[in-house]
Amino acid sequence: MSFKKQLLFSAFLFSFLNLKAQNSENLIPKDAVTVFSINNINLFQKISLDELISYDFMYEVHQELFDGSTSGSTLKDSGLDFNQKLNVFYGKAQKSEISGFSFGVSDQQKLFTVFDDFDLIDRMSTEKTKVYGSFFNNLIIRDNSALLIRVEPTMDYISEMTDSIWYARGNESPFDYFGYDEEEPSILDEKVFGEEDEVIVEEETELFPDASEDPNVKNYYELRDSVQLVLQQQQLEMILNELLVQNINLPSFDNRFANQLTHNSEGVFYMDNARNIDKASGLWYFQTVLPSLYKDIQELYAGNLILGDIYLKDHAVQFDITAEYGPGLGAIYKEMNDSKFDKNILKYIPNNSSGYFSYNVNMRQAYEKAYEIIMPILSEEKNAQIAMNVLTIELLNEFINKDALFGTYKGSMFGSFNGFKKIKTKKIEFFYDEETFEYGERVAEAEEDMPIFTYGITIDRKDIPEKILKHFGRLTSKIQNKGNYWVFENAILDAAPLYMINRNGLFILTNDEDLAVNHADGYGKEKLNRKAGKKAKKSGFMYANINVAQTINRFPMDVLNDRQNEIIQTLKGKSGSLELISSKTSVKKTDFKIEYTFQGEDTSGKHLLDLINSIYIVTK
Amino acid sequence: MKKNLLFIFALIFSLSSCIEILDDLTIHADGSGSFRYNINLSSNKIKVNSILALDSLDGQKVPKIEDIKEKVQQFIKTLEAQNGISNVKVEENYTDFIFKFSCDFTNVLLLQEGIKTTISSMTKEKNTTELNHNWITWDGSKLTRSIPTITLNKVKELKQSDIEQLKLGTYTSISRFDKMIDKFGNPAAILSKNKQAVMIKTDTYSLKENPDILENVIYLNSSKN
Repeated sequence: MSFKKQLLFSAFLFSFLNLKAQNSENLIPKDAVTVFSINNINLFQKISLDELISYDFMYEVHQELFDGSTSGSTLKDSGLDFNQKLNVFYGKAQKSEISGFSFGVSDQQKLFTVFDDFDLIDRMSTEKTKVYGSFFNNLIIRDNSALLIRVEPTMDYISEMTDSIWYARGNESPFDYFGYDEEEPSILDEKVFGEEDEVIVEEETELFPDASEDPNVKNYYELRDSVQLVLQQQQLEMILNELLVQNINLPSFDNRFANQLTHNSEGVFYMDNARNIDKASGLWYFQTVLPSLYKDIQELYAGNLILGDIYLKDHAVQFDITAEYGPGLGAIYKEMNDSKFDKNILKYIPNNSSGYFSYNVNMRQAYEKAYEIIMPILSEEKNAQIAMNVLTIELLNEFINKDALFGTYKGSMFGSFNGFKKIKTKKIEFFYDEETFEYGERVAEAEEDMPIFTYGITIDRKDIPEKILKHFGRLTSKIQNKGNYWVFENAILDAAPLYMINRNGLFILTNDEDLAVNHADGYGKEKLNRKAGKKAKKSGFMYANINVAQTINRFPMDVLNDRQNEIIQTLKGKSGSLELISSKTSVKKTDFKIEYTFQGEDTSGKHLLDLINSIYIVTK
Repeated sequence: MKKNLLFIFALIFSLSSCIEILDDLTIHADGSGSFRYNINLSSNKIKVNSILALDSLDGQKVPKIEDIKEKVQQFIKTLEAQNGISNVKVEENYTDFIFKFSCDFTNVLLLQEGIKTTISSMTKEKNTTELNHNWITWDGSKLTRSIPTITLNKVKELKQSDIEQLKLGTYTSISRFDKMIDKFGNPAAILSKNKQAVMIKTDTYSLKENPDILENVIYLNSSKN
């Protein structure tokens, strides 16, 4: 940016500053597509900053902020105004990604003990608005609110601009080596740093362009670094101009978010799926090659939004979530979720199940509605490939026996986790001859713990899976018909059998021998109790119930990474249950309610943060 | 920066609650002999298979069976090229997850040197104290032996939950000779009926807690057998 432009920008800032008192939510940029806004941050006063920045939702912004100087401090010591909201946001624009949080400030001096690496940027600051910078992070303080923001231009945009300048200067392709393989690091190739290691500098001359002979002329990567810096500044200034000069922020840009902020809850969240799809890089093909189709897709996604409230109650945390749709997708979802609850599934969930879910959808109706809405859009497209695809779909629609297809897979399903059971397996053991201690091997019985899962789909055409299994049974002796059920030996991890039950309008897969052998027609008196069954039945298209102590505490942790393990660990030791209830789906929306009820005294903000973090991980 | 094959040891231990390790050393009168090292994970097939089915674990890529096979071949090739070591074999059973290593050697010093060089070469680790340690010495009538500390140090890096599982694993160490055994120092050891072999068995947790548990000094009968 030229000096003239910088002056102009500063003048703008100075001239048009909004001098009235700010609320932290008014510092959320309009490009934020995912926002967590916590109303009652009093809950977090006792939480240490070290603990706070360990959360995933803080990761995007914390990287260069905290250098250990805040160790042992709590939020209370950090100069935050606990009467204002704390808003964490993330957004992806076509040219940049933004992330950060906005919050109230009660004591700037204390605040700068936390943000101690930030330097004032004079040219961007005014009397009322101070802009500070530290690497790619910027802190903006205006009245008694602050915004911490990180703006990073997308790599595509940086490359596009760099290439444009590079080739315009008459340069040839900067890349003269394309053959190297970028392998993922493997456990076998773990890299370890030791005290006595010699640092081996590998020659990588082929990977980077040579330095120019003229030190005043930048090579490609030097140019790209410069472009990145300029674009970052440009994007930041554009966003700040919009936010601070034009006073366009997320609440003023989207009144659905503004309305959500008025709710009397501990926190709200907002995720604009329509803008997520709009910015999705995977759609670049449509954007560039089929712009009219892309526009139609955008229209289909318009109005797609998730809004939520978080309520803290005595011994419970409740999430109220609304998924809003535009008319096109809403019509498809309405048809899809318009399915009758299959009572038969209740027979196959034991009363002592640790966790279970039911999902009732009507794939046939969803297919018909999607065909009705999407095919006209595709048919209008004047593109040979799309035309061929449309023809193929229309012919399949005519030729395929939809009664058989959707009779086999109707769409509704259920699943349950029934704890762990000992599974019988075979092992090899060494045995020793007492005379010489020479040893041999023998096969012995072994037992291994295995999580017991059951998964089933509703089915009208039981003859079709029966036909498939019968023919597979002829091909391999591992698949056997046992009368009431089928068994596939060693199907699970090459060690344990998989049982298939094709009865009572359900096709069930399970590794629970007891279910297959003794309860092929359901658990009878041991089935899910009437009250729990009624709740599942009464819920809309989806219902889930998890006993936290039984499920989380016994979840196979090996399949999770360290951080996920940590999250599960935060729920460990807590008893209680998680319940998900959904409403009926209308053309406009579906409501979900997730209630986490727990025993004990832990109603702290830590508990809430753990749950917010879990949602963040699931939704990011 | 070093590549560390030794992480496999830690992975093997963490994968398996019922690991069975057999370490079998035969020494002839002239100091030559054979070494066998067997790892048996068959009682944890489900867990091993479930880990191998993952793309990554604890942020690191989980090797595919093909990758492991490749490393094993590399190990055989490198070890066989070492002075004083011959007849290197590794039997790999990926159904029951049993791995049997064996080789012949001309003397125990060359055996240890060969193993250290091979590990250094495959891991690019040159200066680790773990590799400076000699776990077998032989003077013609007295054998002093422990187990490689490389394995033990990796075990110490395991998570607490995995360490608890070690209580179910076993480590058996056998020493065989052409001559009769006169006496041995470790009271936990037992003598074979033909008096030419000594065996010590312990669980992998005890071994982790006390790495000296398998240490033994074995004296051979000086009279001709």
